[in-house]
Amino acid sequence: MDGSVLAQLSSAPIYMICGGIVAFVAVVCVVFMVRAWRAGVAIGMDRTKMKRAVTASASFSVLPSLGILLGVIALSGSLGVPWPWLRLSVIGALHYETQVADAASEAAGLPELSGSAMTAEAFSTIALLMSACIVWGMILSVLFNKKYLHRLQGQGEKKPGEKKGGFGDIAMGAMFIGMVSAYLGSYLGDFASGEGLFTFRGSWTPLAVAAVSALAMAGFTWLSEKKNLRWVDNFSIAASMLLGMLAAVAVGR
Amino acid sequence: MDNREAYLDRYMRNTHLLGRIVSLAALVMLLGAPFLIGAVLGAMPDLGLVCRKYLSIGLVWIISSVVEFLVYTPMLGAGGSYLAFITGNLINMKIPCAINAKDMVGAKSGTRENEIISTLSIATSGLVTILVLAVGVALLTPLRPVMQSPRLAPAFANVVPALFGAMGYKYYRQNIRLAAAPLLIMSILFILAPGLTGSTGTMVIPSGGIAIGLAWLEYRKHQKEGRV
Repeated sequence: MDGSVLAQLSSAPIYMICGGIVAFVAVVCVVFMVRAWRAGVAIGMDRTKMKRAVTASASFSVLPSLGILLGVIALSGSLGVPWPWLRLSVIGALHYETQVADAASEAAGLPELSGSAMTAEAFSTIALLMSACIVWGMILSVLFNKKYLHRLQGQGEKKPGEKKGGFGDIAMGAMFIGMVSAYLGSYLGDFASGEGLFTFRGSWTPLAVAAVSALAMAGFTWLSEKKNLRWVDNFSIAASMLLGMLAAVAVGR
Repeated sequence: MDNREAYLDRYMRNTHLLGRIVSLAALVMLLGAPFLIGAVLGAMPDLGLVCRKYLSIGLVWIISSVVEFLVYTPMLGAGGSYLAFITGNLINMKIPCAINAKDMVGAKSGTRENEIISTLSIATSGLVTILVLAVGVALLTPLRPVMQSPRLAPAFANVVPALFGAMGYKYYRQNIRLAAAPLLIMSILFILAPGLTGSTGTMVIPSGGIAIGLAWLEYRKHQKEGRV
């Protein structure tokens, strides 16, 4: 590779291209947020509730965002800074980017995904493959979101303030339980059989982290429900995650 | 139809219209960026190679996108799902974030209230990520040694277990009987076939299916008893 390609990948024009797209998405988020807020006010929703949703979501998102920042740093050594910044701010997913970048670099004929092996043509090819492989969520949304939601919600739609939940609400809760169960099960499976069936030599750190995080959440729930400290609800998930992550540091694996 | 209903219907119609427009715009930008960058670098993407390798690299993500669309769109509602598919990081952030917000304010799935809360939640989450990453990128030089220190590495490698531990407690305590079966079945499956850990995102489907099936049986039972 030309020794300056990594520097070129972090040059002002590339920052402007990527930064422009990030700014566009930030504006989209603000527009959707303002519209939703106004609609909530117009239909008589409690402003305190909406404020709580915003505060809790903001505090909730900080730690995962730091994890995502680490992904940007990890990829910046081979793809420069602006591209991973764009990818992980918009559309990308932490687990997706590294895998696809790796596979795309192999397809582009690089011996490995690294700054020293990167060429300008390989980069633009890798960048296109990374973009093209993950666009389907957006395409499906454009084509089918309206019809799909209309079909699902058309018959059982409820008005705001209606208390009685139908099966749709229960099903969404159950789906989330299924999602958490799949991930917790995978941590257990990795520990028990990750290094060979029933050897119990796999990593137990994710299990310990999940357990500490769950215990911390139990403590915050107790404070909220038994001691009437409702304000802790706004930060309980973020604080529990932080304690879980600190446990990982303490375990040191 | 009263004014409020008319307003909501207009809001939903416009949400779909806006969602489609901004999704298409984001799509064009994301696919166009490699060409623009290629022009700056003086090296365009190898389109032949992209076409030849697309399926082998992208197939798993195409399937994953279809699954994500089918499963998460009803959870997030219209505005939330358009935004979530643009901003990404669904499983490790947007979905749990929106579910948490919905629970905190007691909104029910499928209601207009949930539509509003979900959109507020996903938009906030997206903005926080954009802000954290922008600040992080601006301060990359001083932050790099801290973020990549071996001491902190286990913490950042375990964000998702920390997230699901906390959320798991919250949901399991609401219905431990419902949670037991999928957790047990998934644990046994992953222990007997540890290779599946690479496809955990896909395993959410059977796991969620089991949970929804059990929830349906319980719901029917309660219906017969007149409790719902």
